[in-house]
Amino acid sequence: MSNNEGFVLQAAPHAHGRASVPRIMHAVNISLLPVVVISVLYFGLHVLGLYAIGIVTCLATEALVKIARGRSWRTIFDGSAVVTALLFVMVLPPSISPLLVVIGSAAAIFFGKEVFGGIGHNVFNPALVGRAFIAAAYPVQITTWTAAREVFGFLPPSRTLSVVEAATGATPLAAARFEGTTEPLIRLFFGQTAGSIGATSVLFILAGGLALTAMGIVRWRMVLSFLGTVFVGTGIFWLIDSAAYASPIFHLLAGGVMFAAFYMITDMVTTPYTNTGTIIFGVGAGILTVVIRLFGGFPEGVMYAILLMNAVTPIINRMNNRVFGAEAAS
Amino acid sequence: MLTFSLRGGIHPAYHKELASEHPIEPFPLPKRLEIPLSQHLGLPAAAVVSRGDEVSAGNVIAEAPKLISAHVHTPAAGKVRSVVQKPLPGGRMCDYVQVDVDEEATEAHEWRARSVDLAEVDAQWLARTSREAGIVGMGGATFPTDVKLSPPPTAKLDVFILNGAECEPYLTCDHRMMVEHTHEILQGIELAHTAFGFSRVIIGIEENKPDALEAFRRESARFPDMPLEVAPLETRYPQGAEKVLIESTTKRVVPAGKLPFEVGVVAANVQTMYALQQAAYLGKPLIERIVTVSGAGIATPKNLRVPVGTPVADLAEFCGGFSERTTKVVMGGPMTGIALPSLDYSVTKGSGGLLFLTQQDYPDESPCIKCGSCVDVCPMRLMPLKLAAFAKAGKFEEAKATNLADCFECGCCAWACPANIKILSWIKYAKNYVRVKGI
Repeated sequence: MSNNEGFVLQAAPHAHGRASVPRIMHAVNISLLPVVVISVLYFGLHVLGLYAIGIVTCLATEALVKIARGRSWRTIFDGSAVVTALLFVMVLPPSISPLLVVIGSAAAIFFGKEVFGGIGHNVFNPALVGRAFIAAAYPVQITTWTAAREVFGFLPPSRTLSVVEAATGATPLAAARFEGTTEPLIRLFFGQTAGSIGATSVLFILAGGLALTAMGIVRWRMVLSFLGTVFVGTGIFWLIDSAAYASPIFHLLAGGVMFAAFYMITDMVTTPYTNTGTIIFGVGAGILTVVIRLFGGFPEGVMYAILLMNAVTPIINRMNNRVFGAEAAS
Repeated sequence: MLTFSLRGGIHPAYHKELASEHPIEPFPLPKRLEIPLSQHLGLPAAAVVSRGDEVSAGNVIAEAPKLISAHVHTPAAGKVRSVVQKPLPGGRMCDYVQVDVDEEATEAHEWRARSVDLAEVDAQWLARTSREAGIVGMGGATFPTDVKLSPPPTAKLDVFILNGAECEPYLTCDHRMMVEHTHEILQGIELAHTAFGFSRVIIGIEENKPDALEAFRRESARFPDMPLEVAPLETRYPQGAEKVLIESTTKRVVPAGKLPFEVGVVAANVQTMYALQQAAYLGKPLIERIVTVSGAGIATPKNLRVPVGTPVADLAEFCGGFSERTTKVVMGGPMTGIALPSLDYSVTKGSGGLLFLTQQDYPDESPCIKCGSCVDVCPMRLMPLKLAAFAKAGKFEEAKATNLADCFECGCCAWACPANIKILSWIKYAKNYVRVKGI
């Protein structure tokens, strides 16, 4: 028996749940594995190299900033830098050069996260900051698309791509917006089309995304309000003129909408934390997505929709919940 | 079976099995009692004995000065050694009366059963009996029961709730009482029912105590004059928090900043009702309570009937001592209890548990990632992350404007926080600051 002194003196509660920041981040990373696998099958082994380059760059950038600020660099293994790296690479075109992955990853961590003070303090989604940086600096490379390999042979042939060889092609959204041809929906669902490395395959995104939703890491209100708004918004225009506008189902399956729904607008740090705020964000991002997609010069408008809503998030978070008994008291 | 549930809340690891099957054992009289005079919410009682005085079991040793306070009685006969100042758990200084126990005289004392004429029982009778017996809420809040049972004349109390939720992990003292003393508890409730004529008497017990639910269902038959309802509650912390329990069982919402009588409800803990029964039927004041000694650090967990003022070190020894791996000793439950720096403290009317915890690592806070878990689990629907951030930044006016005062300190937020932020500590700090500086 030890002596009576030296017990830990700490305020209640003296119990803690299993939740931890690294657990959340690792869960997100693991849930992305199906997307990693399918992206390699669709676009080739070099994609694996791009992930590796992204991860190393993100970790190194974060470590350098921590050291420069005189902080412990060991926190870089909390999993959040890896999340940023994976998400950033997944929204790039498959033909991106490794150098741009390095530049973009460093920008994502530095401008997207560390300049604000690191994890928890950033305003904008770091992966999207990295992508916006590359889109502004290297507009050609980021809009050069490669067709996915024919991994699933049973799917109907593409209407927008030449599949004879890994051709350079328009993304389904660009084809719909500028040429008026739409890809078969089932191809979009499998993601066997031209598009970003990880953002095309709805099936594989759902696999991980629904698991995260079940774990409570992804807020279902956010996902539903965003997808619902995109569906209704694009549906209205489709009902008005179905020749000029693609169907709402097409809009849900094409481009980065599904990826954004589960992996971008669900970034905890840069999106609201109340149920009401969550819905406001989802609806707002949905409306902006529809507007940019249908009327803007960027058919892949989700990124800007989210960045804009990130900027509004601090204001949304100023709202307070109505506390227990507040109505009864008034 | 319909169960009653709350909004928010958490499912902590319960560890109730460590002690739940151990019947209540009487704790042998200690050689010396150290009885704090502030074992309740409100003003401390003032000592009416001094060094050298002889006392016998059940004597008042300190009197409540005025409303919102409670008398303190000595559980044992003996001689007052001295009145000293010592810290209470949590650090506040308090007078303690030290009594050198006369074992023989104490054991010779008998609490003789007496009959109660229910026709005489009214609200004043209840308040007087509670006050004379020094009864306070024994669920932990220790609010004086005479005050609780004296609502303003405008209030009409029509619902009574027995709070048998015992939602804190580890604690099994109320559970054992409900199984072993069902009848006495119901007799206590009967006194309150006689005075107020409730239209509903709800026995609220979490579903993880099926034997207690069964005991009340069985025993209810012997009280045909009471409108008894045995209500199984969903096992979820903090089901036993008063406002939460009232809403989940009656759908009545106590207005923010108000007390339960505003919605016609009085809720009381299991041991409080037992104490009332003992005071009425034996003339026995509140001088002992059931304490659950538990945790991975104690050799043999037990539920003990302990005289108030018993040194905590004696309990540890009686339960076989604590292991080297013990890192923290908590008085109360793990969610709301107070960590003790040493074992030099006493059991009080509010101490439901004495826990010897062996958690080895105590991680530091990391930055808030705004996940909203604390918002989701808060039963009061507060924004704990904001309150903590305001407290850290010294923005106390903002914290106050963000409903700081509505927090009843259940600790769900800090339990759920993935960044290990001591949210509740920050909230308490802000509350203290606001109170002391009068913001």
